Amino acid sequence: MITIANLVKRFGRTEILKGISFEVRKGEVHSIIGPSGGGKSTFLRCINGLEPFQGGEIRVGDRVLTPATGARSDARLLEGVRRQVGFVFQQFNLFPHLTVLENVIEAPIQVLKLKRSDAIGRAERLLARVGLEAKHRAYPRDLSGGQQQRVAIARALVMEPAAILFDEPTSALDPVMAGEILSLMENLAKDGQTMIVVTHSMGFARNVASQVHVFADGYDVESGPPSTVFGDPRHATTKSFLSQIAKD
Amino acid sequence: MRHRLFSSLAGCILAGLVLPCTASADALADIRKTGKMLWGGDQEGGGPYVFPIESNPSQVTGFEVDFANRIGEYLKVKAEFTQGQWDKMPDMLRTEKIHAIINGYELTRERAEIMDATIPYYVYALQLMGRRDNPRIDSWASLRKSAGWARVKIGVLNGSAAEAYARTYCGGLCDVVSYDGNTDTMREVETGKLDATIEDTPIASFYAPRFGALRRIEKPVQRGYYVIYVKKGETALLQALNEAIVLMVRNGDLERIYRRYGIWDEQQAELAGIAGSGRFYGYFRATDVKVERNQMPTEESVRVDTRKRGWQIVRDYSGILIQSAGMTVVLSCISFPLAILVGLMIAIGRLYGRSWLRLPLTAYVEFLRGTPVMLQLYFIFFFLPEIGVKVPAFWTAILGLAINYSAYESEIYRAGLQAIPKGQMEAALSLGMSRVLALRRIIVPQAVRIVIPPVVNDFIALFKDTSVCSVVTIVELTKRFSVLSMSTQATVELMGMTAMLYLAMSYPMSIASRRIEKRLGLEQQA
Repeated sequence: MITIANLVKRFGRTEILKGISFEVRKGEVHSIIGPSGGGKSTFLRCINGLEPFQGGEIRVGDRVLTPATGARSDARLLEGVRRQVGFVFQQFNLFPHLTVLENVIEAPIQVLKLKRSDAIGRAERLLARVGLEAKHRAYPRDLSGGQQQRVAIARALVMEPAAILFDEPTSALDPVMAGEILSLMENLAKDGQTMIVVTHSMGFARNVASQVHVFADGYDVESGPPSTVFGDPRHATTKSFLSQIAKD
Repeated sequence: MRHRLFSSLAGCILAGLVLPCTASADALADIRKTGKMLWGGDQEGGGPYVFPIESNPSQVTGFEVDFANRIGEYLKVKAEFTQGQWDKMPDMLRTEKIHAIINGYELTRERAEIMDATIPYYVYALQLMGRRDNPRIDSWASLRKSAGWARVKIGVLNGSAAEAYARTYCGGLCDVVSYDGNTDTMREVETGKLDATIEDTPIASFYAPRFGALRRIEKPVQRGYYVIYVKKGETALLQALNEAIVLMVRNGDLERIYRRYGIWDEQQAELAGIAGSGRFYGYFRATDVKVERNQMPTEESVRVDTRKRGWQIVRDYSGILIQSAGMTVVLSCISFPLAILVGLMIAIGRLYGRSWLRLPLTAYVEFLRGTPVMLQLYFIFFFLPEIGVKVPAFWTAILGLAINYSAYESEIYRAGLQAIPKGQMEAALSLGMSRVLALRRIIVPQAVRIVIPPVVNDFIALFKDTSVCSVVTIVELTKRFSVLSMSTQATVELMGMTAMLYLAMSYPMSIASRRIEKRLGLEQQA
């Protein structure tokens, strides 16, 4: 479904990603953990084409992104990839000038060309699923952070993407709200939603993910099923990262 | 010394003969074909030249109107007055917006170099005027005496022959103050802010009844000539006009016209001599034509001895002022939406467009912001015709204002667009939107809300900036105010009415914008 081969990303002369490869199959949940500055978010942003990269390739379905892919010259290709791969941001990024319902139906109407009534049908189902059926007409600023993130998840889901990328979705939330979001994501995982989740929540990585990746210094230093990574860490970075986390 | 006058007419005749003909277009043929002679003047100059009729201020009267109409009769065409800024008349002539200038234009060497002059139709001189109750100013010589007091203050019309003369005469012994209106100085003398003024004799004679507190001091000095100017090289038209003037001198037409306005004086005797020597021009045939005596009254009939005040001014002139305010509204309301549209496009181009677009767009903004709108209008109206692009005055004004304001609006929108967090574009793109769609549906609607206050602010500023359009012959509210204030001297009343009208235009805008802000504000992020 998503195949990343030898991905290299540089900002100027600083190498952020130093050759990362992995594969995500349908229905899998991949969790990326690791110390800050390890390139986790950048990696995620490369997958849906928000960041260009300098080496390797990314294959999403039958679409291929390469270092030659340009934001303008390959706009169609990128739009195609993004329709396959949803994205949930740490800062939610809801559209402040639109109501909750309008936030969710905007892309289905404008991008998928759904009829408004169909888009509203889809949106209502999803808003009910994330527990916001009473907030259709509210504006984002009237919602708590947790509620905003739930709208953002509904907004991603409404496009029925093959996979969803979560970029630290709970980092801007207090623990209670974070818990709500994580259990919502767990439900999605149970329903077979393919996901890549960059997270600091070890609970989620341990209990929900089918694969865990530890990113450090631009490398995928250690990956495997959570039981292996957490139970029997091999790499020095993983060990120190996990012990650091345990102290908190 | 912009207005060094010729000491004798011979010089002018010589100059007229020596200077080569450059233009090839035949204005006279054009006049005959269209049946219209367009002559330029500025009604802001006031009486007795060209000024609004009291009972119908949208129409003009004045000795030059009568004079031009009579010339039209001789040429068997209709003489049509064309409003323009007084100092821009030569440009209007050059770009063929008018056929002739008839507006108290003195014969000067500088002007004769760029335009062709007819023989004079009026002999003017400079009249010194002071207050009746001020014995201190009783002669030209008294101007130079300060005698323990402050130096004498003399008011003159900016750029006039009187100004040049006053500066030379004073030579540092008195203060010369320049004014933009003909009668401003007379009012200032009346109120005591000035000690004396120097006016062209027609103005002094015509307005004498209205300024009862003023008196004429000594005989007029420094004789000069009002002439008609035509485009360089228009010999046929020049000849026809000269013939008409000679006729009008001989058959008494000019005398009758000038008597109507009370400006016929002994100096005009010189006109007969000039018409006689006019044989040098080769239009002696005209002198043989028999002309029937016309039926014009011989006594003064156009008089301005009463000055209207207060409510009478409001009653008589509010109609024409409101009508002119309409022009202001029309100019603003057509040009501003264009400015917004172009400005938004430029801002988007600079922020999101391809890299090669950015330099020219930045240059566009910097150039238009960095140069006065007046020059831009001037360029469109007076330069583009040179390269074959003729834009009518109204559309020149619309275009000029729209282009100028688009530069300012683009900067406002650029700031507005930049204030939208980067995450908004990323979120939109991540949903599969194209950049254009994301701009249209997500980014621009948010930016527009942010910039409402500064944009409305500019719109209100534009209402007032439309007044620069008078350089391209548009008469809007401010110009109308100037014109009426020059001819009625009721400046305070007219100023109040004009201010109220501007306020009536801009205040509803402020209210509307506050409403819109309030409504949209609900949707803004806290």
